[in-house]
Amino acid sequence: MGRFKKVGALVTTLAVGGTLAACGGGGPGGDSGKITDDKVVLGVITDLSGVYSELAGENAVEAVKMAVEDFKAKHGDDAITDNIEVISADHQNKPEIANTKAREMYDREGADAIFDVPTSSAALAVAGVAEQNKKLFFDIGAGTTELTGAQCNPYTYHYGYDTYMLAQGTGTTITEKGSKNWYIIYPDYAFGQDMNKSFVNAVEGAGGTVVQSDATPFPNDNFSTFMTKAPGLDPKPDVLGTMQAGGDLVNVVKQYNEFGLREKGIDLAVGLMFETDIASIGVEPLAGTLFTTAWFWNMDDQSREWADKFKERTGDRPTFDHAANYSAATQYLEALQRAGTDDADKVNEELNGLEFEDFFARDATLRAEDHNLEHDSYLVEVKEKSEMEEDFDFTKMVETIPAAEAFMPAEDSGCEMG
Amino acid sequence: MIIARVLRGGVLGVVLLVVGLLVALALPWFIYPPVATDIIAWALFAVALDLLLGYTGLLSFGHAAFWGSSAYATGLVAIHTGLPFYLAVLAGAMVAAALAVPIGFLSVRRTGIYFAMVTLAFAQLIFFVANQWRSVTGGENGLQGIPRNLFGLDLSDAFYFYYAALPMILLGLLVAWRIVHSPFGRVIVAIRENPARARALGYSVDRYKLLVFVLSAFLAGVAGGIYAVGHGFASLQEVYWTTSGKVVVMTVLGGMGTLWGALLGAGIVVQLEDYLATAGIDANGIVTGSIFVITVLLFRKGIWGTVAQLTGRRRGGDEEAPDVPEPPAARPVGADPETTRSA
Amino acid sequence: MDSLLQQIFTGLVSGSFYALLALGLSVIFGMLGVVNFAHGAFYMLGAFGAVTVLDTIGVSFWLALVVVPLVLGVLGMVLERTLVRRLTALDPLYNFLLTFGLALILQDLVRLKYGVSSQPYARPEEMQGTFDLGLFTYPRYQVFVLVFSVLLSVAVWLVLSRTRVGMIVRASTERPELTRALGINVGRWITPVFGFGVALAGLAGVLAAPMRAVNSGMGGDLIIVIFAVVVIGGLGSVFGSVAAGYLIGMLTAVGNFYVPALSQSLVFILMALVLLLRPAGLFGREEGVS
Repeated sequence: MGRFKKVGALVTTLAVGGTLAACGGGGPGGDSGKITDDKVVLGVITDLSGVYSELAGENAVEAVKMAVEDFKAKHGDDAITDNIEVISADHQNKPEIANTKAREMYDREGADAIFDVPTSSAALAVAGVAEQNKKLFFDIGAGTTELTGAQCNPYTYHYGYDTYMLAQGTGTTITEKGSKNWYIIYPDYAFGQDMNKSFVNAVEGAGGTVVQSDATPFPNDNFSTFMTKAPGLDPKPDVLGTMQAGGDLVNVVKQYNEFGLREKGIDLAVGLMFETDIASIGVEPLAGTLFTTAWFWNMDDQSREWADKFKERTGDRPTFDHAANYSAATQYLEALQRAGTDDADKVNEELNGLEFEDFFARDATLRAEDHNLEHDSYLVEVKEKSEMEEDFDFTKMVETIPAAEAFMPAEDSGCEMG
Repeated sequence: MIIARVLRGGVLGVVLLVVGLLVALALPWFIYPPVATDIIAWALFAVALDLLLGYTGLLSFGHAAFWGSSAYATGLVAIHTGLPFYLAVLAGAMVAAALAVPIGFLSVRRTGIYFAMVTLAFAQLIFFVANQWRSVTGGENGLQGIPRNLFGLDLSDAFYFYYAALPMILLGLLVAWRIVHSPFGRVIVAIRENPARARALGYSVDRYKLLVFVLSAFLAGVAGGIYAVGHGFASLQEVYWTTSGKVVVMTVLGGMGTLWGALLGAGIVVQLEDYLATAGIDANGIVTGSIFVITVLLFRKGIWGTVAQLTGRRRGGDEEAPDVPEPPAARPVGADPETTRSA
Repeated sequence: MDSLLQQIFTGLVSGSFYALLALGLSVIFGMLGVVNFAHGAFYMLGAFGAVTVLDTIGVSFWLALVVVPLVLGVLGMVLERTLVRRLTALDPLYNFLLTFGLALILQDLVRLKYGVSSQPYARPEEMQGTFDLGLFTYPRYQVFVLVFSVLLSVAVWLVLSRTRVGMIVRASTERPELTRALGINVGRWITPVFGFGVALAGLAGVLAAPMRAVNSGMGGDLIIVIFAVVVIGGLGSVFGSVAAGYLIGMLTAVGNFYVPALSQSLVFILMALVLLLRPAGLFGREEGVS
């Protein structure tokens, strides 16, 4: 298959020494109005075994499969094709595996779009492959603003959340509600540094003060230093903002309670938290904690309805990552249907600037300028144990942050679409 | 001279070399080219480690420091200068070698098992630096967008990149082979076998060890640089301790002190990892861990060493046969005052 | 000044874990010449043990503090008998690799069973609240951890220095060749000592459960720090490991306070300095250093 052609091309390339394009590859065919290979393939690259395997993982793959089934059911015989396949790979949060698997999916397995990809280094690596292959990529699991900033490209969409949005919701809203003085601790790596910067901007923008912000080692299991320091700061902070995630977040919350900071009048605000984190920390130590989320499953009837279907299928309640995967796959397939082809550039025309609304994304726009999905986000509070009606019923709504304010304005993103 | 040496290695040696070269040339026809490129990069890395582990008897559990620092340095050079990637990789490997000088100087002060712990700890230090030094490394976002420049050739297809990278890898392997088969190589084996005797003969044991350490780091750097260019980015994964563990598993599985074994081990482990990513078996740790346990308990000479032993007719005066020496550890504790624990 | 004292105290609490882990590692190394890479995994198993016995049969923290280390000690002895023993006559690298493999397997098994999220584990009732230490108040549980670990270290020290068993273990830990030369039968103590070292790691894990995140990865990075700790203290020096454990705890905590960016690197920088100036470790003897 094509090998001899390749060697021929290699010889030519070497001989001419020029910049002859290697024409061997599959590339998006010129045949518009059709589906290449009569098949649409959705790839899901996610973490099936590492730290993100519960908040994304297998259930993210299931969410995409659900989207495919619902799409087929909705369009029936009118569907552009009923041959839609979902393939998946475990990147174990290693960017090089994500990168190789993305190449393989686009080149060899005919993937038309790739979804999820938590871990920002992996997400950025896949974005590079998507651009090279001129195929679509919807990142959901990673939080870095680079995807829609300096490293944006016309084939990559960031769908769901990013560090700016998390800080905007939590930092601005809490400050506006009267907690002016913040003490921020953040893990000393890219995500934490981004979060810190965004939070400081948000808090100061809302008229508050960041009394101090400290980088903490990562990973770290002893935050006592920062807990003992907090009450002694001048002025005394009203809120401890923690940007830790996963196991480190658990440590922070355990030690926040141990040092009795809430009793000392210092509230806790968390940068990024998932239901899976709340389950592992327990509701009691977290009750009253505020954080921002892109979606939560029991926020209204529409969401609950989908979450019930999800639970029926997987046995679990969905995180926002799962919902966003479903939503992204659905919007992609609908765009494909409208475009009448799986040609990435044609589908892209449908998606660029698309305004829509579904159970996950409200008042949503896929911004043409930087490919960030702008949609409502929510400041939520962890319930008291007595308020919980069932398992995973952890959060209640405090405030909706309107789409237009929730995300970084496109003109500030630093994205230059090539 | 090299050819003469190979010829002296006997028919088997020549056959092996020819087969090895053919496999290297044909690899991307059978294996997905990006994976094939990974295999040859890891193969050189494993051979670099084998110089230390198999031939000098020093287990470096921190070789990710050199592979990774070169990956970053190569990337930075390629991005900022646009030089052909051969030069960028060379620059990266030099950074790795330079880093190996202080780390090696301190590490060779402790032998045996201490050496493993100390190198592991130093590699973790490098990891923290890479993690925090975001303006240079990109932190956990990684250093993205490393170009594949080579005299204007279009290497965007991994198939062609493989053949562009192969000569550099082969050159690296040749260097390793030359080291092992030089008088210098015999000295390091002598040091492994009996450091006290080597010292008595007037060899500066620590200096030799340091030199192997730096050479090994350099070759690991060549491999890491090519890997980074192949993937188009360098990430923290490259300097993390699991990467050090992975290259050790390759060398041990393939067979320490055989060079060929390291190549084989790299091929198997990379293929296995690629398979596991899509096989729906989410038990990477169990698989890798079991490889360690089984190899160490049942066939300590690794695959290559065991096969060589089973088919083993020793040919006297042959250069290749002693390439399957007793692994350093096949000797009882106490036979060697250096590898015995230094309480 | 208060805050410095407070940081030092914080450091001693962290140091408690380092000390217990380094102590176990050191005793095993001394007796068997094995550097147990799985030590971090046993620490993790200790924490999971506490969670499991509480969730399944309602065993309290206090009972878990006894039961879990015992069970792990037995597991350690079984591993020594079945696997480690086969390789002790060979270069120590082989047991290093064996236990590395075991660590990966144990960690992955726990992940498959419990998932990646941390397991909740509450502080025991008696240990809620804070304790007034005069200059500052401190969480009661953390004060307990520090006191308990110091007492335990002293107890182990007394056993090692006052009893015949202890003398044999310590002698073979600190002067293995000499002990063998004197014709003391070290052999029958090997298995129990391995079990004891593992039990200490498990105990540290149980102690960690109420104050730290309990997940399969909790021992992975920690073991590397412990390696640095024993290199600094002098592997094989019982006193040195414990002292270095507390020392590094303090150093890291004070570093956290004044130079957060450096704090994780401090332990490795100290290790480099020790290797440069006193390669046998702060409390080790020079013999055996190349």
